[in-house]
Amino acid sequence: MSLADTSTASPVAPRPSHRGRFWWFSEILPFAVGILIWQALSSLNVWPRVLFPSPLEVAQAFVEDIASGVLPVNLGVSLQSLLLGFVVGAAIAVPLGYLMGLNRAGRDFFDPLVNLLQAIPGLAWIPFAILWFGLGQGAVTFIIVMSVFFPVLHNLLTGIRMVQPVLIEAVQTLGAKRWAVIAHVIFPATLPNLMTGIRLGIAFGFRSLVGGEMIASTNGLGYAIFNAQQYFQSARIVVGMLAIGITWLIMDRFILRPIEQRTTMRWGLVREGIETA
Amino acid sequence: MTDILVAKDISKTYFDTVAKDDVVALSGVSLSVAAHDFVSVIGPSGCGKSTFLRIVAGLDTPTSGEILVSGKKVSGPGADRGMVFQEYALLPWKTTETNIEFGLRLKGIPKDERRKIAHRFIELVGLKGFEKKYPHQLSGGMRQRAAVARVLANNPTVLLMDEPFAAVDAMTRQRLQEELTAIAASERTTVLFVTHAIEEAVFLSNRVVALSGRPGKVIADIRIDLPRPRRWEELVRDQRFIAYRDELTRCIHGNAPVHGNHA
Ligand SMILES: Nc1ncnc2c1ncn2[C@@H]1O[C@H](COP(=O)(O)OP(=O)(O)OP(=O)(O)O)[C@@H](O)[C@H]1O
Ligand SMILES: [Mg+2]
Repeated sequence: MSLADTSTASPVAPRPSHRGRFWWFSEILPFAVGILIWQALSSLNVWPRVLFPSPLEVAQAFVEDIASGVLPVNLGVSLQSLLLGFVVGAAIAVPLGYLMGLNRAGRDFFDPLVNLLQAIPGLAWIPFAILWFGLGQGAVTFIIVMSVFFPVLHNLLTGIRMVQPVLIEAVQTLGAKRWAVIAHVIFPATLPNLMTGIRLGIAFGFRSLVGGEMIASTNGLGYAIFNAQQYFQSARIVVGMLAIGITWLIMDRFILRPIEQRTTMRWGLVREGIETA
Repeated sequence: MTDILVAKDISKTYFDTVAKDDVVALSGVSLSVAAHDFVSVIGPSGCGKSTFLRIVAGLDTPTSGEILVSGKKVSGPGADRGMVFQEYALLPWKTTETNIEFGLRLKGIPKDERRKIAHRFIELVGLKGFEKKYPHQLSGGMRQRAAVARVLANNPTVLLMDEPFAAVDAMTRQRLQEELTAIAASERTTVLFVTHAIEEAVFLSNRVVALSGRPGKVIADIRIDLPRPRRWEELVRDQRFIAYRDELTRCIHGNAPVHGNHA
């Protein structure tokens, strides 16, 4: 029974339950329902248009903003800040995480500093960001770095603390020394937490991106939303918000999930969910 | 025969940080294991069997005493003392194949060669067809087979096993025990095996060492003269097997016969 199961189950089938002929239906359903409810609410005509734009208006604004090039330009600027901020933040957090997790002296030194700084929200850095980098992408990127850094570091540290000692001991009795233990046990074992940290890091990054661009920039999606509000163009506010949501959806679906499906899910460390409980 | 493993007067005291109290786990355990011998250490739960094995592996340090393997003092874990754990401890991110060849990879053996060695052991433990599976795709018994193969492929001086079959069902356990005796005999592996199951110890070993309740001290050291290959169907009715089992049972539990001890 278990033999037959294991030999036929494909380890990478991403969503076996959605693999029918109409798999796309279940993908679209949640969005279709969301839009229907939205349309229904706006047809009630309870609120003025400015306070509650309809899906159609938003779609129109969306097409206009793409045609005029405003949306692609702002999206490009935002993505650039986000990516750069994320890469810099993670590039500091990941090595520091392993240093703190695997080295007593490193932990003793950095832990108090990290604890002091982590309660400070990324947006609290806006005044200094503007003073140091001036209004614009530099300031925004700096704020994103400060927001990405802590969730990545924290989740990584948690992951390192949770590595099963018996796995390390087992490879030590096979001859593994420190670096082999790190490369073959600790690194893969911390991947699920690292992925969670990256997810949260990007999510926090988005928050700071929008907040930062509203205050400390003259372009980007956050600025576009802020600007649209100044002119009561509520449909364009929603366009900006949706652009952020869709960008995240695409990043998750086409970058993060495939990585997880090839690694942590394939190894049986993480599942999509638990249907039996 | 030469003694390949020598434990000299090993004692271990843990400090219980909660109760602020010393726990004496082992007190003056001496034991020598000859090359190619299969020795089991038995004793009641908590008597320090795992502690002793971990000290031999170099995963724990003794409070006093020393371990010599091939004449060299043990100061930490090493490939000469491969250990099989009760909880398998396979790397979830490696397939059966890459788990089993992992030790050889660490030794710098080229890929083709180590793959060949790995496949020989995969066949030996009956995992053919499961080379590319990840541990979570294997049954408990298969995982333990892979864990045994992983250590055997690395050709350790001594194979250390800590209740490796405790977590599998009784039927699978008997099969794995039969396979282990056959493999140990054909590979001429030196094995130090820890268990609290008396029948298992008698079935597998050439020699059984019994420890007293905590703190563990050697209270019996018996040679098991039973022909190999050994099979459960034959041995359960064998008068010599029964005599060894009863003798060890008396040693450990006084005169009370034990029931339900799983073999
Ligand atoms: N890390 C530790 N810290 C404190 N005490 C410990 C530690 N490890 C083991 N002990 C104590 O040492 C004693 C021996 O433990 P050990 O695990 O060696 O027993 P065992 O003979 O393997 O038992 P079992 O058959 O149940 O596995 C126990 O009383 C245990 O509580
Ligand atoms: Mg034990």
